[in-house]
Amino acid sequence: MTRILAVCGVAALATAAPALAQQAGLGNPATTPAGTSEGGRGIPAAREPNDTDRIFTREVLIGGRAEVMFGKLAGERAHATAVKQFAERMVQDHTRSGDDLLNLAQAANLPVPEGLDRDHRMIRDELDKLNGAAFDDAYIHSQITDHQQTVQLLEFEIGSGQDPAVKQFAVQALPVVMRHLQIAQFLAAEREGVASRINPERDGNALR
Amino acid sequence: MAPFTRCLLPAAVLLTLGLSAAADQLPPQLTYRTLPTQPFDAVRTADEAEKPAVQQRQRALLEERYDLSDRPTPNVMMSAGRKPVQGGVRVKLPRGATWESLAQMSPDDIRRSNLFPAAFLPLPHVKQATGGQVFPNNQIDEIAKQESRNLRRFDVDFDLPDRFTPEFPPPIFLSSHPELGDVSRGQLLTIKNYYALMIGLITPVQMEGLRLLLTPFPQEEFNQTEDRKSADQSLGVTCLDCHSNFSTNGAFHQTPDVRPQAARFRLDTVSLRGLFNQQIHGSKRSLRSVEDFSEFEQRTAYFNGDQMSAQRKGVNLPERHDQTAMMAQMQNIIDFPPAPKLDPLDRLDPSQATAEELTGERVFMGKGQCAACHVPVTAFMDNNLHDLKLDRFYPLGATVNGLVILPEGPIKTFTLRGIKDTPPYLHDGRLLTLADCLEFFNLVLGLKLTQDEKNDLVAYMLTL
Repeated sequence: MTRILAVCGVAALATAAPALAQQAGLGNPATTPAGTSEGGRGIPAAREPNDTDRIFTREVLIGGRAEVMFGKLAGERAHATAVKQFAERMVQDHTRSGDDLLNLAQAANLPVPEGLDRDHRMIRDELDKLNGAAFDDAYIHSQITDHQQTVQLLEFEIGSGQDPAVKQFAVQALPVVMRHLQIAQFLAAEREGVASRINPERDGNALR
Repeated sequence: MAPFTRCLLPAAVLLTLGLSAAADQLPPQLTYRTLPTQPFDAVRTADEAEKPAVQQRQRALLEERYDLSDRPTPNVMMSAGRKPVQGGVRVKLPRGATWESLAQMSPDDIRRSNLFPAAFLPLPHVKQATGGQVFPNNQIDEIAKQESRNLRRFDVDFDLPDRFTPEFPPPIFLSSHPELGDVSRGQLLTIKNYYALMIGLITPVQMEGLRLLLTPFPQEEFNQTEDRKSADQSLGVTCLDCHSNFSTNGAFHQTPDVRPQAARFRLDTVSLRGLFNQQIHGSKRSLRSVEDFSEFEQRTAYFNGDQMSAQRKGVNLPERHDQTAMMAQMQNIIDFPPAPKLDPLDRLDPSQATAEELTGERVFMGKGQCAACHVPVTAFMDNNLHDLKLDRFYPLGATVNGLVILPEGPIKTFTLRGIKDTPPYLHDGRLLTLADCLEFFNLVLGLKLTQDEKNDLVAYMLTL
């Protein structure tokens, strides 16, 4: 079984770092809410969120909360070592990124959601009923879907968000979430014996 | 494991998948265009204020990636003799790397060491978040002069230096009149002059097709609504505003085939020369006829693949049984520029070609593997889409000037006939010279070409 280490995903960000601050501010003024104050010429001031920032923050805070919850559940229930390790990594990465986003949301006065939404409650209820290999399969598959959706949400924020700090959060998170998705897909493929697969963790830089 | 349990497992998995997949989790703006939230004047004021920073950001990216200096290839002009062909490798190498050292590395090693040249990554639109059509200044000025129609945007300018775009206006070669050579008289075809230029040369249906290809129709950034990027209410754009004289002026856009906006890669306008031999159309869509394509561009190039937006701004759907057929009739008589050194099977005539060009052709057909897709006898195309799997070389998900760097998937093979006339290269224009293309494919296909072989290949491609 391939080793999946619980690691700090931030290492994967090294390539995305340059000129982030410069990039984050420029947007599409057509969708800037009326009355937004300017921080630079034509550029919205810091902590001036738009609807995209609000939707994104809500969805990703709930999603991240669910990742931590399901990851802890998987830590107790998962059968396979690789799935357990993946779950540990989800708990670590999503706890940290959830805290970061929560701070940004509070700084920008964005609404902070409580608990889980309907979709994640349904997943939780399903996972609650399962054990052993059945749990592992269901957990990994729900992780694939969740990370697919998170990738789309991050791209949504990068393309249409306004608050530079929230946008920059999305820019930094995307490579990490993409990596999580690749690992989850690999784990599923390996569990199902899919004929041709490459371990995304073959890159040393993601393992430290 | 008991057979009973085994039966249950897939059901449990499906149930979980079904539950999460049935939900409407993602916001509609990921797929559909958002309407402006502010009056036109407020948007324009903010766009204009932001513009210097937008241009500066793009300029910095270009300078970081490329050597943009003026280094024309001696004695090599484009087909009408109006512009020299820029030479040399313009892609900047990562610190400490050489082309030879990179060529010895595996894709995994290059990715792990972060040594993939940045210019080989997708080239962002000058303003990714807004996107849309951006025309070069030569086109804008000529259309303003001839038609008093405004193609200038207030939010962005064209980004690449003029020396890396096609000559303007490009020459026009008709497959129905090879004996005449360039019939453009050095002019840009417009709705004003097309009849005077083409009467006697083309058929009635071709003439009507040409008129339609030169008639402006509302477009996403050029229309009469508040959701536009021209200062005045615009009459719209024409097909040949990008495909100048049925070639290209280097105008760019974003792929209509991808969402969300941040993931839409840039598209450099493709030349329409030699369309008569092209079986599939669109970089990703693989439309099966130019009639289909001419019809559907009103949904895609014009409105980003958003039919709701088209409906609102003024949709033009050319009549299928008549109008698109006539547009196709016109497009299908546009020939490539002459290639006097090629024989009837599009191979070099040894009595005409230099030793260097002939060696280049041998590498093209052999070690270079170019002809695997760019097959000479089928106009240097294979009428297929291929995935170069470039994402072997870089980690996914970095953001560059608002563009999220993802795998681009299969893209159509483009012709190499007349290739010296139509820089920049690759579907998004990320490569500025033919020498850049050789370094790109040398790395991506793992060819390990020698410097002599690369030079000979460039010499050969200039004969096409």
